[in-house]
Amino acid sequence: MIEVLHAGLCDLVMDQGRSGRGALGVPVGGAADSAALVAANRLVGNDAAAAGLEITLRGPALRFPLGGVVALAGTRFAATRSSGAAVGWGETLVLAAGETLNLEQAETGCRCWLALRGGLTVPPVMGSCSTFLPAGFGGYRGRALRTGDVLASGAQAGAVRLLRARAPAIERDVPLRVVAGPQAGQFDDAGLLAFFAGSYRVETASDRRGLRLGGPTVTYARAELPSQGVLPGAVQVPPDGRPIVLGWDGPVTGGYPVIAGVIAADMAKLAQLRPGDAVRFATIELERARLLATEQWKIEELT
Amino acid sequence: MENDTRAPSQSHPAWRWISDRGLRVETGDTTLTRYAALISLNLPEIEDIIPADGCLFLVFRRGTGLSENLRSALIAPVAGMPATGGTLHEIVVEYGGAAGPDLPVLAERAGLDAAAYINSHAAVEYSVAFLGFQPGFPYLHGLPCALHAPRRASPRLRVAAGSVAIGGGYTGIYSASGPGGWQIIGHTTAVMFDPQRAAPALLLPGDRVRFVPR
Repeated sequence: MIEVLHAGLCDLVMDQGRSGRGALGVPVGGAADSAALVAANRLVGNDAAAAGLEITLRGPALRFPLGGVVALAGTRFAATRSSGAAVGWGETLVLAAGETLNLEQAETGCRCWLALRGGLTVPPVMGSCSTFLPAGFGGYRGRALRTGDVLASGAQAGAVRLLRARAPAIERDVPLRVVAGPQAGQFDDAGLLAFFAGSYRVETASDRRGLRLGGPTVTYARAELPSQGVLPGAVQVPPDGRPIVLGWDGPVTGGYPVIAGVIAADMAKLAQLRPGDAVRFATIELERARLLATEQWKIEELT
Repeated sequence: MENDTRAPSQSHPAWRWISDRGLRVETGDTTLTRYAALISLNLPEIEDIIPADGCLFLVFRRGTGLSENLRSALIAPVAGMPATGGTLHEIVVEYGGAAGPDLPVLAERAGLDAAAYINSHAAVEYSVAFLGFQPGFPYLHGLPCALHAPRRASPRLRVAAGSVAIGGGYTGIYSASGPGGWQIIGHTTAVMFDPQRAAPALLLPGDRVRFVPR
């Protein structure tokens, strides 16, 4: 059980998302870094599919009336516990009954994930507990948490193990790796050069639907395109030439030309971009991208 | 880049990787029959299949690629035209006025008066090509050529759910309120998407639609 003493900027109940509904226009959604939420779940003895919290930029103050076993994964936030104990990142934390966990600003990056032993219990919608803000369904009443909300958790079982999780190495300040998009041939040389040689900045008007990028304008020969299926990470270029990287709650089809697609392994890096961050892009081969996508978090005993 | 692009023919669609997890398959008028065939295989590497206009978009699970099973399924012949047995829906529409603010401009562009424009839009039986943009938002085929119209130069910040709209060669219905760039010609009270319903989307690909002026 969690009481929200102060809501953060955008605290969302998330799990691994609702796959298989693309034909209904419903994206998979779910945790922006699904592997990070899985790791947090493993640290508290949960099933990988259990629901946790996705916390963005400024976190909430949470009280655990019954205590609990929790874990945080993703970028590190300034954080304190009412007990005065340190808030370890990527490790099993045991909270006493009535203890408060206060998450403040993200130190770098954008998002972290909190798992609670037993998982958060909200009514599943279309097979998932993930919040889908654009249509206001899933998660906790289809919205971000507010001060005063109370989240229930599932039954606890088994012995608690103290564990530590290690993410696959994320190199900072390197370009996001992309596969050239389906309409890359439609962009002229100036457009391609602008995009691949340019440096962009994440704009404030960015969210889980898409990251808007400011920087060199990407020109292309205007053509009416039929709407096509798209994936999170697809870089669309609307007629104004300002690229948008589609996010986890973006549309499943799009009619703008796609210049590139961020590889699966770098979606975790995309999840940590915040407004003002610089972004560059570099192409990578498909087979190499697939190999990188198989890299796993490592879970070990905390000693 | 690994592009396994074949010459288009009726039974062997071309396909192309567009990211490490996304495969676009050109399926033409076999899109919905191929969709049904692929879904029924329940292949473990496939996370989702998204039908669009004349193509399918296959989403792969992380780290997986094209299996022999899938390759065989993609080159297997399927029936040319989808069955026309999709459910017929009658959607009651209030055309024009505050419900359809772009109708006068579109009617003038089409060289019709408002009543003739409405008759023209409502005279056709449409088919649902695919859903996208928003959960449950249908892209309908069958819009008469005279009614085709480009999207608005600057999108509206808020379009009401139920707005009946024109975007290029499609007509569609906004399933949720939000920003939108299509031209709004009317409004329906039909609920296009409700995640709590057993069938959340009112319309499915292959369904047929008739608009009934109120």
